[in-house]
Amino acid sequence: MAINPRASLPLSLLALLATGEVLGDDLFDNHHAMPEVLTATRLKQAPAAVPGSVTVLDSALIKASGARDIPELLRLVPGMMVGYRNGNQATANYHGSNVTEARRLQVLIDGRSVYRPGLASVDWTDIPVAIEDIERIEVFRGPNTVSYGANALMGVINILTRHPLDSRGTRLKTTQGQRGIHDWYASHGSAWQDGALRLSLSGLQDSGFDHDQFGRDYRDSRRLNRFNLSASQQLDSRHSLAWQLAAKEGSNQRPYGYASVFDEQIAPGDDGSDVKARDYAGSLRWTLDFSPEHSLYLQSSAQHWERKQVWRACEAEVAFSPELGELWDLNPFYVVKFGDYLTQLKNNPTNAVLPPGTAREQALATAVRAQLFGGGAAPVCGDVNQSMRETRYDFEVQDTLSLSDDLRLLSGLGYRYDHADSETYFNGALSNHIWRLFGHLEWQLGAHWLVQGGAMLEDDRLSGSSLTPRIAVNYLITPRHGLRAVYSEAVRSPDMYENNVDWRYRVRNLQPQAFGQSSATYFARSRGPGDLDQEIMRSRELGYNGSFADVGISLDIKLFYDEIHGMISEPLRNDRFFPSNANSMRFSGAETQIDWQLSHADRLRLSYAYLDFSASSHLDRRLSARHSGSAGWLRDWGQGWSSALFYYGADQLNQYRFERLDLRVAKRITIGSAALELAGVMQQRLDDEPLTWQENNYDERQLLYFSAELEF
Amino acid sequence: MRSSWMRHWLLFCCLLCSAPLHAAEILLSGAEDNPAIRAFSAALAELRPQDRVRFQPLAQLPSPERIPAGTRLILLDLHALDWRLSTAAGPPALMLRISRVQARERLGKHRPAQLSLLWSDPAPARQLRLVRLLLPQAQRIGVLHDEHSQFLLDELRQAATPLGLEIVGQAWPDSRDNRPLLALLQRSDLLFGVDDDDLFNPRTAKNLLLTSYGQQRAMIGPNASFVRAGSLASVYSDQQDWLNSLDRLLDQPPSSWPHSAYPAYFKVLGNRQVARALAIELADDASLTQQVAEGEHL
Repeated sequence: MAINPRASLPLSLLALLATGEVLGDDLFDNHHAMPEVLTATRLKQAPAAVPGSVTVLDSALIKASGARDIPELLRLVPGMMVGYRNGNQATANYHGSNVTEARRLQVLIDGRSVYRPGLASVDWTDIPVAIEDIERIEVFRGPNTVSYGANALMGVINILTRHPLDSRGTRLKTTQGQRGIHDWYASHGSAWQDGALRLSLSGLQDSGFDHDQFGRDYRDSRRLNRFNLSASQQLDSRHSLAWQLAAKEGSNQRPYGYASVFDEQIAPGDDGSDVKARDYAGSLRWTLDFSPEHSLYLQSSAQHWERKQVWRACEAEVAFSPELGELWDLNPFYVVKFGDYLTQLKNNPTNAVLPPGTAREQALATAVRAQLFGGGAAPVCGDVNQSMRETRYDFEVQDTLSLSDDLRLLSGLGYRYDHADSETYFNGALSNHIWRLFGHLEWQLGAHWLVQGGAMLEDDRLSGSSLTPRIAVNYLITPRHGLRAVYSEAVRSPDMYENNVDWRYRVRNLQPQAFGQSSATYFARSRGPGDLDQEIMRSRELGYNGSFADVGISLDIKLFYDEIHGMISEPLRNDRFFPSNANSMRFSGAETQIDWQLSHADRLRLSYAYLDFSASSHLDRRLSARHSGSAGWLRDWGQGWSSALFYYGADQLNQYRFERLDLRVAKRITIGSAALELAGVMQQRLDDEPLTWQENNYDERQLLYFSAELEF
Repeated sequence: MRSSWMRHWLLFCCLLCSAPLHAAEILLSGAEDNPAIRAFSAALAELRPQDRVRFQPLAQLPSPERIPAGTRLILLDLHALDWRLSTAAGPPALMLRISRVQARERLGKHRPAQLSLLWSDPAPARQLRLVRLLLPQAQRIGVLHDEHSQFLLDELRQAATPLGLEIVGQAWPDSRDNRPLLALLQRSDLLFGVDDDDLFNPRTAKNLLLTSYGQQRAMIGPNASFVRAGSLASVYSDQQDWLNSLDRLLDQPPSSWPHSAYPAYFKVLGNRQVARALAIELADDASLTQQVAEGEHL
């Protein structure tokens, strides 16, 4: 300010005294109606002040990757292990562990959890969101049940869709390529005075892997259609509403899902055991801004998952013997030994002896043997129904209160109702009620120190209550450079199937009839123990986050030591399923991610994770690569041309090395007010290994697909 | 005798340099009459005890040519401007509270001789120096404009070039359509607010601020109200600055008044919460003001 030498002291004083009045009624500051927008309750922490490790996949990166679905994008996240059970069943686990299930990761779409309650899984293919609608993905790498509730054990994937206001106009896109790729997307967004709405419709189709380990065609294609409606409405200066409706229908192929245990020669009863998958979701968020220092939101959502899987399977009639079923219920291990006895009876009858057991076991075994030799070895075929319906209602209230410029409190209350209905898995329906209470305090101590801590209290009707704390200390060298130390505990409640499964197959329309019945129960069944405890994770982390703005580098380094106790490692199976809390796992290592904006035209992005681990169960040693990472180079060549080159690598995913190079080249053409983008993606595998499982093979190491997108 | 003559001569010289030659009649006018205007008029009167300062509502004024030529007019709103422009004859006037966009709409490129336009916009060079101080790595300055404010880009470019900054313009014809805003944020390092009420107003503030913050881009300007709403910082002039700036001009003969000028006095207002969330080190407002002012004399 230039100092007026002529203003006398009394006059300056007068001006100062008048300031209060003048500020309120300043002739030259007449925007009194201006709302306070970026308030303490709306602002988030700067990266260096975040109490943990976060990877953000922004829209530019998502587009440049050329990825068609979310799991492929997650390869850009350090420490994220992405595998495939088959072409339409991806598994993504932070730091790996079990290869068939990803039970320890929370996945949210605009705050709505899409983690399925019944089978403790995330069906990536069936999530009703198109990649074109995603604005960014924030991955919280590490436990955070305080903020996200149980199941946020190893990490949280927070998928945020584009705000309807940012989606105005029409977008049409088609993607066609090898491996049966036929995708499409259409959206239209409109806005009015205080609100906006986007409707998007999309579809995805591909043929999955080409052949299994024996060179046979692999039945794992997928086809799906999605519907999404997203709207926001500002009710007045303090109230706003956002709501979404989403639906997805599709078909996921599965190979024939049964192998005879009595006679390998029995022919399959069907071509496959495909799943018809339908997902429905609706959510509503009401935000109230009481004042710039205090806001609250109320979010409620309803979701329904429908998996219809009915196929015709064939097995020896004796599999439906009531006596064999009773024997299994008495002692499944005796049935296993009895099975060995039957094999021996076939190959070397003179040495075969009925396994020792109780009188009842032996009597039942004798009866079954008689059934087998009395014609019970003949095949019968019937309809197997492995369908399931799951429903979830979720309510959450979260309050953000800025107590001062340096102290902020987040607190809230949540209630969730989960319901699963499946004759096969639960012999009917099963439901669960979960309450949770959480609080998180952020306290800035001067310019350099930031202490953040909180706790969550959760009560799960099926598995009891738990209290999990979390504390983080950040030291900000400058606002752009911070060191952090984090200690957190997290729990994962056993899921419905682990604890409460009552798995039995009621096979219908049996032909010929089994023991005079057209509908009978398959002998093998399993029950959850009902008394499983929660898994407990303790995590320790040291980290650095820095931004070198002058050279355009953002860098994050994380050192970690995590332990999971009381781990439930048993995979879902219907014979000999005896889950327990007997296992444990330990992870330690280092991760880094670097984002380097070399110039306006060039961006480099690197991620790397080194992981050392030990697990008491061999099943948990499968999907954890010791070295994994990615490298990307995005370039804008000008004249509408752009390219992106990505390398992804992991030294072992379920024992198989994975290395791939992706190149995307795009040309954007402006036609009046419309824009057309033509893009080609080439993926080149650099290894000769199957992908995750030996069945997962492609004919070619190369994949090509092309897309055309019109915006107007 | 000699020393007495010298004393008088020195006194005369001092008076010549530091004060108007004689007491002036200063007339403030505008269509509105409210306590804020009266307070401003009273404060100016206090600042210039040697002059006769008074406020008279526009409705009570005769036509400009009937006002004595020695009077200095201070016009406070656009109605007063229209009144003054109704005839070429009449006393010289200082026009306050007018933005570049408003002047362009009323006057085009024409600058009437009897008028000195004092812009309510923050001076582009000052605002850009503030950008340099707060975001030294930012090079591409994103500027939204509509057909009325497009002409500002030229002046901004003239101010930006010596600082090594690039102005990236983007038309935003419909403020309900976010696509131009998003496109601009993608190809610029920050959003630079201009004094165009069509684009930067209480109705658009929420969307502008939330969208730019969502893209991790700071917004600078366009005024102090926007800083309170969530813009990172802005140069602005409050009533005291205007009083001081007017005081300086009123010391000069009207013949040396500029056709248009930004206020000589200004301040900087920064938003500390926003700076923290964007990891930007923000010095206190007074030292930022001083640093921006230092660039003025370079």
